[in-house]
Amino acid sequence: MKNAHVLYHMVKADLLERVRRYGYLLTLLFTLFMAYGVYTGQLAYQFEGHRGVYNSAWLGCEMALVTTVFLTLFGFYVVKNTIQRDRETRVGQILASTPMSKSFYTVAKALSNFAVLTTMILVLALAALAMQLLHAENRHIYLWLLLSPIMAFGLTALAVTAALAVLFETLPGLRSGLGNVVYFFIWISLLIAGARPLDQNRPVTTGRYFADFSGIVSISSQMQAIVRHLDPQYNGGVALGVAFNADRLSAKRFLWTGLAWNPAMVLSRLMWLMIAAAIALLASLFFDRFDPARGWQFAMRKTKAQSPIENFEAAVNLPEQVVLPAHLTPLVHTSSGHKLRFIHLVRSELRLMLKGLRWWYLVAAGLLIAEFVAPLAAAHGSVLVAAWIWPILIWSQMGSRENRYATRSLIFSSPHALYRQLPAVWTAGIVVALATGSGVGIRLLLTGNLHAFAGWLVAAAFIPSLAIACGVWSGNSKLFEAIYTVWWYIGPLNHLPALDFMGTTPASDHTPVYLFLTMGLLAASLFGRRVRLAYA
Amino acid sequence: MKLVIDHVSKQYGSKVWALRNFSLELGPGVVGLLGPNGAGKSTLMSILATITRATEGSVVWNGTNIANNPDALRFVLGYLPQDFGVYPNLNPVEFLEYLAAVKGLDAAASRRRIDELLNLVNLTEARKRPLGGFSGGMKQRVGIAQALLNDPELLIVDEPTAGLDPEERVRFRNLLSDLSGERIVILSTHIVSDIEATATDIVLISKGALVAHASPEELLRQVEGKVWEWVVPSAEMNAAKQKYLISSTMRRSDGVHVRVLATEAPEGAQPVIASLEDAYLYQLANHRAEGTA
Repeated sequence: MKNAHVLYHMVKADLLERVRRYGYLLTLLFTLFMAYGVYTGQLAYQFEGHRGVYNSAWLGCEMALVTTVFLTLFGFYVVKNTIQRDRETRVGQILASTPMSKSFYTVAKALSNFAVLTTMILVLALAALAMQLLHAENRHIYLWLLLSPIMAFGLTALAVTAALAVLFETLPGLRSGLGNVVYFFIWISLLIAGARPLDQNRPVTTGRYFADFSGIVSISSQMQAIVRHLDPQYNGGVALGVAFNADRLSAKRFLWTGLAWNPAMVLSRLMWLMIAAAIALLASLFFDRFDPARGWQFAMRKTKAQSPIENFEAAVNLPEQVVLPAHLTPLVHTSSGHKLRFIHLVRSELRLMLKGLRWWYLVAAGLLIAEFVAPLAAAHGSVLVAAWIWPILIWSQMGSRENRYATRSLIFSSPHALYRQLPAVWTAGIVVALATGSGVGIRLLLTGNLHAFAGWLVAAAFIPSLAIACGVWSGNSKLFEAIYTVWWYIGPLNHLPALDFMGTTPASDHTPVYLFLTMGLLAASLFGRRVRLAYA
Repeated sequence: MKLVIDHVSKQYGSKVWALRNFSLELGPGVVGLLGPNGAGKSTLMSILATITRATEGSVVWNGTNIANNPDALRFVLGYLPQDFGVYPNLNPVEFLEYLAAVKGLDAAASRRRIDELLNLVNLTEARKRPLGGFSGGMKQRVGIAQALLNDPELLIVDEPTAGLDPEERVRFRNLLSDLSGERIVILSTHIVSDIEATATDIVLISKGALVAHASPEELLRQVEGKVWEWVVPSAEMNAAKQKYLISSTMRRSDGVHVRVLATEAPEGAQPVIASLEDAYLYQLANHRAEGTA
């Protein structure tokens, strides 16, 4: 009983702290934007041109899938900061000094994440209700049919997301930006592995329900049977995603009366809930209980290896009574011009970006060699794609580093904080892109493929521009890590021409578009920084 | 060299005024900015450091309004904020080199300056260690060094001795005194002894308003003959607290030795030499009384 009381207050305090932040409002707006996408048909769930009549049963299932497919990705980035916040606000150290166990803390944090995500589901559920009334294809509201798929599939999938966010925060390697990228691949693997039976045009076996993280098999397989019955030409295709040219309202309609629940479906959702609980408990094994020494144990080990002195602070203090008079040579300003100072600043920004990386250089060097030695088509394709995802964590710091390390007041009180420091960061980001992709660039230039070279050059400027705009506007690295990973996966890696900013797909020829976008993003970055500074 | 703060106000939200109609004119020397928590000291510092924009009024540096040309001040500004961070993977030299570049200093000139500064803040031995492993006091010393990087004409330091051990505190006070020649140093703190040791001028601030701007001697003169030491039996302490403004207490075997601020001596009390802390409390109490009246 006492534990439940403590748990309630932990979750409540954490939830209130989050929902009272400006960022939460943006999260809700984005959730509403997703719902609006469903309403307009831009976010479409279709069976080769067939869709269900807008009734409670159909909208409940559609919103459930929007939740499990999209909110599980977006929601992860929203909630993966709860332990970090306790660390930054030092509240964690107070909690660590209480009798609370590590497992209690990680479970409470997972529940708190879950509570935040639940508020987003509620927004989608209300939106589904509104949508049914607005579309007016069927005005009879059946709350069970509308809410049961959202709750059964949405809540269980989000419970896993909530717990994974906590686990990632407790693992030192995944706590930072790397975790944001790794999660994307876990998320896509879970969706693909779960949805595989849909392509095989075979009845769903019991075991497949348990692998169905998103619920897309459970829901779509029953709908497929109806569409097959109505349309003999139907080949079993199911699509849920962004449909730019969808004329959804004119799609052929079928009547969906609701899910026929079977024991395997119910048990599989319980299994995902148990997996979520197990992940939250597993996180406690890696949780450092806010011990500052553990975060810096590596640095400290290094210190000890260099110096036998145990008490480092004492070692650098002078003996008592020895207080040196202050003597500073007056600073002589030499005549080096603005350009030289800008180059000096770019060099400093580069050093800041690249400092502390160890294995990163080895992999980057390996990819660079591959760019030179692989056949040009492969180098300009898969090798460049790999080479330009590798520095993602370097780029993602751009524009938000001052926030993350609380150096804003030091940097922003310097001269030309807007028109010198920010362009220097941007330039340093481009230097990283040019250096890591230089093998391809040089070869394109040498072979006279100037058109592709121009595309390569624009891409090298586009990536850091996107990074700095995301960093400045969001104040953190997560937005870029999420957007860039998804964009990179869909565009350059899976060859969707319109999103292939690297120009690796033969059909893609969007260099002028990306040049325009690059300039727009840079302008947005300068504007974003400008509004955050008291003076330009 | 002149800094003029002219009727500056700062409003947060629609109701909270952190500063109200604050005016001040400063020339070379160390100005101690004293005030209770929430008085508006950090807001004022932030406005002077061009981090925050005043809602009303202006700040003029050597004839230039910083709202029109903030860089006129930024080029000669050294600022140590109350809370600041460092980049954990850099060592102090790299961090200071980075900030020197951001401030637009020449690479060669800044290198020698950094060596001297690290020596000055007693971090030469730690120059190669990553900042992430530094203690709070050591980070504070890095902060002090960065504030002096560009040989500032206006040095603003907000609670600079927080986290420093006593020896480092003494060192920093001496440093401020030594540096104060031809520059304006604004030292914000609630530690009166820091101000006592260094300030040539004192500014008292409370509830966003200027309470007093005077030399320490002048403030002390105002409280001269009004400070008493009085031995009070423990049982009568509560009554004494209600009747008099008490600046400090100390328990002894004969009772509680109380330092009292009063125009008339309490019965049996002995006059004592006034301290700056007494002057500070006296001014604040007077300001509060005026506000209530």
